[in-house]
Amino acid sequence: MDVIANQLFAGLSMASILLMIALGLAIIYGAMGVINLAHGEFVMLGAYVTWALQTHVGIGILPALPIVFIAVALVGLIVEKAVVQKLYHRPLDTILATWGIGIILQQLVRLGIGAESRFVKGPEILSGNTEIGPLIMSNYRIFVIFFSIAVLFVTWRLMTRTEFGMKLRAVIQNRDISECYGIESKRIFSITFAYGAGLAGIAGALITPLFSTIPTMGTGLVVDAFLVVIVGGLGSLVGSAVAAALIGEATALFSIVINDTLGRIAVLAGIILLIRFRPRGLFPTETRR
Amino acid sequence: MASIKARELYSYYGKSPVLQGVSFDLSPGEFLAVLGRNGVGKTTLLKTIMGLTDRCEGGLAFDDQDILGLSTSQRSRLGIGYIPQGREIIPQFTVRENILMGTFARPDGKREIPDYLFEMFPILDEFIGRRGGDLSGGQQQQLAIARALAMDPKILILDEPTEGIQPNIVKQIEDAIVWLNRERGLSIILVEQNVPFAKSASDRFLLLDKGRVVLSGKTDDLADEDAEKHLTF
Repeated sequence: MDVIANQLFAGLSMASILLMIALGLAIIYGAMGVINLAHGEFVMLGAYVTWALQTHVGIGILPALPIVFIAVALVGLIVEKAVVQKLYHRPLDTILATWGIGIILQQLVRLGIGAESRFVKGPEILSGNTEIGPLIMSNYRIFVIFFSIAVLFVTWRLMTRTEFGMKLRAVIQNRDISECYGIESKRIFSITFAYGAGLAGIAGALITPLFSTIPTMGTGLVVDAFLVVIVGGLGSLVGSAVAAALIGEATALFSIVINDTLGRIAVLAGIILLIRFRPRGLFPTETRR
Repeated sequence: MASIKARELYSYYGKSPVLQGVSFDLSPGEFLAVLGRNGVGKTTLLKTIMGLTDRCEGGLAFDDQDILGLSTSQRSRLGIGYIPQGREIIPQFTVRENILMGTFARPDGKREIPDYLFEMFPILDEFIGRRGGDLSGGQQQQLAIARALAMDPKILILDEPTEGIQPNIVKQIEDAIVWLNRERGLSIILVEQNVPFAKSASDRFLLLDKGRVVLSGKTDDLADEDAEKHLTF
């Protein structure tokens, strides 16, 4: 029983990180139909910005979060304006282009900072564990779980309760008519892309105490985040949340029953089966064609 | 009130020129009817004014300002209210959100829905919380007109606003269009298949065939045989 409870918690912790990464992917795809293969590198950049702030400026993870968000969002904005915006009508080419950007970002970090793993200290205030009977939960992981829920809530409010969100939803449903009513769809897309990148950056910042900070760290994470987006239904916020929880927990539970590697295979097999029967994911939404 | 001047407009979808040298003038407060058979470029003319075609050459001025180089959203903010064919309201938005969307084109940034819209189309007030997609065709058309009016436009351009709409609402929409022109002084360009209404409402007409103007002038001077010749199949 103890093992299961602890694994459930580990699964939830993993799910919360996946959710933050997947949210960015989901809104970028949902809004613009762009599959952003540089997303993992945005996560990596977030981690390195956090490392740089801590090592060179002495700013801890928590106060660094807003700075990381803005920094990575800016990188996203530049990528969108310089490359993605030119390829709106060529979705396949955006996949290739963003992949290339990802490689460039990765190599820049490798050349500039080095390939060796960097260490980032977790926040002092969240050190230690909370124990409920046999269940031992790291305070930092608890914080990340709640933080990701807050990010989901803020994103949902942004989409449904703000003028920006309304404009974005209008553009998703009918771009030409949105333009006819003063909405600059290009601007909306740029901001959306930047916001998604910023979320990836925050995820990268938050995982620094949990993962090793290396130039290739984003690649594995973004694969899982893509699985989340596909299982959840492309472009759906709720879907992403449910799918993140499902995949996080399934991975954690399978790895008790079998082992990590076989557990991973079992999860992938499960996803293939699910996609076979629900090709548009659990919560399909209308997206731009 | 606003004027539009078009000179030798050529407008393209891909490489095919749909409009081929269209010129016309619309004076402030005037009502221009654009007539012609299906596929002669009427809708394209309106889309060209909004900048929705692939490419456009010639001269197009709004209140003596050249607008061919402006983006669609910039043109809308000058005060051009476009009511497209098929209404194109946002189905997932509520009636309120759809109307509010019109205010995004206001240059002053105000987000108020003018009260007279609901006096003109009381059904919109009644259905304010419903989703646009759940309304009937006629109600959607009223919504599309209200959306355009919410931006406080200087000119309205309407593409077959009574097409496929139940007869009792057709009358209401026609009356509203005439009222907007006569009482609120809005310049209007109307694409219409319903020739009797177009003739009774408009000051001037433009008769298109194969992307060109074949006849234009005061509506009162439009002879029935000319209309017959270019409008029947």
